[in-house]
Amino acid sequence: MQLDLFSVFRNTADFNGVLFYYNGSLSQNVIATMGDALKQRLDSQDTNGPKSRRLFSSFIEMVQNALHYSPDAPDSAGEKVGAIAVGKRDDKYFIVCGNLVEQQHVERIRQKIEPLRSMTVDEIKKAYREQLKNEHHSEEDGVSKGAGLGFLTLARDASEPIEYSLTPVDGHESELAYFYLKATV
Amino acid sequence: MKDIYLARTTHSPEVDFRFSEHTLTLTGEAYPENANEFFHPLLMGLESYLNSVDSRDIEFNFRLTYFNSAATKMIYSMFELLNESACTSNRVILNWYYDEEDDTILEFGDGIHDDFNALDYRPMAVDPAMA
Repeated sequence: MQLDLFSVFRNTADFNGVLFYYNGSLSQNVIATMGDALKQRLDSQDTNGPKSRRLFSSFIEMVQNALHYSPDAPDSAGEKVGAIAVGKRDDKYFIVCGNLVEQQHVERIRQKIEPLRSMTVDEIKKAYREQLKNEHHSEEDGVSKGAGLGFLTLARDASEPIEYSLTPVDGHESELAYFYLKATV
Repeated sequence: MKDIYLARTTHSPEVDFRFSEHTLTLTGEAYPENANEFFHPLLMGLESYLNSVDSRDIEFNFRLTYFNSAATKMIYSMFELLNESACTSNRVILNWYYDEEDDTILEFGDGIHDDFNALDYRPMAVDPAMA
């Protein structure tokens, strides 16, 4: 990369309020390290406790989601990859995460997120409590590795509806899609 | 019944289950890579402990400040076991420590109280400056 291009990249990130950006291999260690960096960053900015915790919670849900559900990157030796940015616009923070998903799961992801986008805070809390009590989750959802609370937790901690997009990956249209997810806290 | 002690790590809490003293404490943050793997042995230990005691006062100190969605379900199962025991054979006191600035932990505790009302739920506000 040429230095002037790096400068453009940096300025664009700055202009969009990006506080930090990571693109590459995902592992629990990378997540823990980034999580620590994020906490320090928020402390140094004097972000209040609850907001900082909601942001950290959203960050963890998003990157662990990418780590658990993204298929291995094509032409890699079993590597999970993702891109994540945390930024601030006015007094709100945003987290954007991008990772691969299997094309066959695209509809399922849409069906999980879409209803949350139009729910009120109280409806989200109610749905969260019902899902917590649901003892049949693993029979109902063979793909899920958790408790079916991930997107609900994100929606609970967000101050705006979560945003997402799903786009087929060039050259791998029938197997892979790129999943972008954005939460604002 | 052997006590369980696990030191705190970046993504897992300190677990101090003193079965011998009937005092169980969780402190810190819980977002392990695999929540089932982390919590399963704890649930098993708790279950056999509860089956081995009768007419005891059991104290559970909940001092987690953050847990991810996968850990949430496991924690819920833990209180389910304690509640069953409180319904039949033991008295369970649940000391629920929460940051008074933060609604999330208190709301979760209130939900536990609603769902598992045999537990003697005692919310305790913690001043974040003192924590």
